[in-house]
Amino acid sequence: MQADNSVSTTAGLRQGANRWLRVYGTFAGFVAMIVIFSLLRPGVFLSPNNLRNITEQVAILAIVATTMTVVMVVGDFDLSVGALASLSGVVVADMLIQGVGLWPGVGIALLVGAVAGLFNGLLVAYFGLSAFVATLATMTAFRGLSLFYTNGSTLFSGIPESFKIFGQSFTGPIPNSVLIMLAVLIVTWFVLEQTTLGRRLYAIGGNAQASYLAGLNVRALRLTAFVISGLGAALAGIVLTSRLFSAHPTAGEPLMLNSIAAVFLGMTMFREGEPHVLGTFVGVLLLGVMSNGLNILQVNSYLQLVLTGVIILLAVLLSGLARRE
Amino acid sequence: MDGAMSQPGSGSMRATGAESPLVSIQHVSKRYPGVLAVDDVSLDLFAGEVHGLVGENGAGKSTLIKLLAGATPRDSGDILVRGKPAALHHVRDATRLGLAFIHQELNLVPYFDAAENIFLGHAYPRRAWGGIGWRTLRERAQQVLDQLGADLPLDLPVNRLSPGQQTLVSIARALAANADLLVMDEPTASLTNQEIDHLFAVIRTLQQRGVGVLYISHRLAEIFAITQRITVMRNGRIVTTQPTAQVTERDLVQWMTGRAVDALYPPRRPATATPLFTVDRLSGAYCRDISFTLHAGEVLGVTGLIGAGRSELLRMLFGAAPVTGGEIVLHNAGAAQPIRPRSPAEAYRLGLALAPEERRTQGLVLTRPIYENTTLTFLRNFARGGWLVDRRREIDVTATLGERLSLRSRSPQQPVGQLSGGNQQKVVFARALAGEVKVLLLDEPTRGVDVGAKQDIYRIIGDLTAQGVGVILVSSELPEVLGLAHRLVVLREGRQVATLDAASVSEEEVLGYCFGLMNEEMERG
Repeated sequence: MQADNSVSTTAGLRQGANRWLRVYGTFAGFVAMIVIFSLLRPGVFLSPNNLRNITEQVAILAIVATTMTVVMVVGDFDLSVGALASLSGVVVADMLIQGVGLWPGVGIALLVGAVAGLFNGLLVAYFGLSAFVATLATMTAFRGLSLFYTNGSTLFSGIPESFKIFGQSFTGPIPNSVLIMLAVLIVTWFVLEQTTLGRRLYAIGGNAQASYLAGLNVRALRLTAFVISGLGAALAGIVLTSRLFSAHPTAGEPLMLNSIAAVFLGMTMFREGEPHVLGTFVGVLLLGVMSNGLNILQVNSYLQLVLTGVIILLAVLLSGLARRE
Repeated sequence: MDGAMSQPGSGSMRATGAESPLVSIQHVSKRYPGVLAVDDVSLDLFAGEVHGLVGENGAGKSTLIKLLAGATPRDSGDILVRGKPAALHHVRDATRLGLAFIHQELNLVPYFDAAENIFLGHAYPRRAWGGIGWRTLRERAQQVLDQLGADLPLDLPVNRLSPGQQTLVSIARALAANADLLVMDEPTASLTNQEIDHLFAVIRTLQQRGVGVLYISHRLAEIFAITQRITVMRNGRIVTTQPTAQVTERDLVQWMTGRAVDALYPPRRPATATPLFTVDRLSGAYCRDISFTLHAGEVLGVTGLIGAGRSELLRMLFGAAPVTGGEIVLHNAGAAQPIRPRSPAEAYRLGLALAPEERRTQGLVLTRPIYENTTLTFLRNFARGGWLVDRRREIDVTATLGERLSLRSRSPQQPVGQLSGGNQQKVVFARALAGEVKVLLLDEPTRGVDVGAKQDIYRIIGDLTAQGVGVILVSSELPEVLGLAHRLVVLREGRQVATLDAASVSEEEVLGYCFGLMNEEMERG
């Protein structure tokens, strides 16, 4: 009988530990990473300069990941965001070189993003293709468009100085790219958490069939999510092009996997495992801090990729194990 | 656990020979955070006996089975198998001791055929060159199925078999594993009446071979038909164990709910003569030429065998399945308005509401809180300016509706997935009542719901009709349809074979129509 009790006590302890890991595991990993980096490189990692570096480095990824969160809330995902960011970057650079003016150029690039997202949404929500197949195809097509448009070369000569406003200028001490990121974060958070649109998107992600039978216009709502993702990708492409002050037809590619990884990392922080803007932001920071810290430690950049993969697997595995209890 | 090995009682138990129980559960308890799920339960199960286990959801039946299966460790008490203390740490231990479990959701490999599923986990027969002896495997599977008197195709993947056939496959698997005790948890939930009859024949065969069965079901009629003894659980404790012959349905309900039962069904209020909803020669993919008129305050039952087109009819009325012909007319304060909803959204706007057949997959977003599920359809009405979420208001409305529906939950913020079946169904009702419903379409509203919640749901239906709502009730449970409905439409293979007065028709007559044994000049209401 005593043996029984001790068994249930250790089981209780294990359950408690699991619950803790599930809720705080990813965040604890994030904090641990900061502590380790600052101990290994005191004075460098936590210096104001480096912190600003990190936020600037993550700003573009944060924009894409935030709008990717919206698509993943409905239970879909969008593989085309990286290629779309490149495409919008190419478009805005070319428009500016041709002299259409700053704001019209930016407007056209955003429009490209919205139309591309609309196209993705039509394929998935109305033609019933799986998000994987549809956005894999459009990703390839968008990449081809950018390469065709630029003939594979980088656009840089003739971009007006005024375009630096998005990626290189400051408002007070804060980089404009960070301000744009904060705006996207806040607006998306507000839409998902505080509006009927967000509520409906979460309902569809939870159970699309039940949402349909409850009277939601599931198709239109899924389409909307893809349009938002397309807009986010286009905006990120614009900021990226401004930061680099040149448009390369494949510059946005790494954004796709990293944004999905960030959303997954964020999902591990919530009990029901649903995507969430704040979780995504922690995921983005985690990826950014890790890459920055490993750079400071001068870890081989190929090895960094391996480490990133391992961290993502670890986080998702741990939260999955904990949830099984 | 090891300390319990040398129980002095075990030797004397064996000595009593044929009378000794196959499985003896002795003073077993299990506590989960905040609740004593199984509280000092003792129960003897004998070879060759079918033992019924009943109780409301949350009474502790499932936990008891998990303890027996070794799926979760017990806090205290002993389980003896053939007189010996059993160390049940893992499901494998239970299998080794001859205990087999057949769940509502069967653990079959969907893409394997029946023969492979029956011998899953056994060594497959081998050919001389090392390949699998498929023919031998099939022959052995056939032998097992023959013992059950079951005839089913051995070469199809089991996901193409009917639910009844799948149940037979999992019973055959238990038999192939030489199980002495079969635990069946709601085995008939998705079976047709015919399949249930066959299942009962199989259970009786097993019984004659000396297999013991623990049979868990919400359907009391089945409990009375197949068991020799019945155990009733409530709040984790055993209320009583009685020979089936000495118990009435009334007793059972009273023991399960712990309160005296008035009639299970509320008194039927007379329906009005005001037509509310007329369907004329409605046709779709699975139904043809369906006609009826629903009056304000009326409950119209729709019954028939599974596959007769009942759910399809509701989905057509609700805009969720295509309509190919016929008319639907909604009567609005005397004015007749022809309608043809093209989506559930439009149906809701017109004043229709649906409680779908599969609550968990079609009715609710299980991960979201109760209040979000309640306000989902008419969310705009609860939001500031129609777009800004107002949680306080939603929670208030949900709490009020919850009270009206006797919804039992920790709070309106609790995720729906954590509620029992009956309370989940009440959330579906709450959603319909959060808007202005005129015609309520109910598809199997009490499936998998315990007796107490059933009574609540019947009362809610009664209250709604008293307010002039019309209800179309699809149910496989004939007593329920006959107890609640004013009139009854019988469907058979997508055709309307009879429209009957529910008060004056017998169960046998209705079944006659369902099986096509009786025909009738259709009286069109």
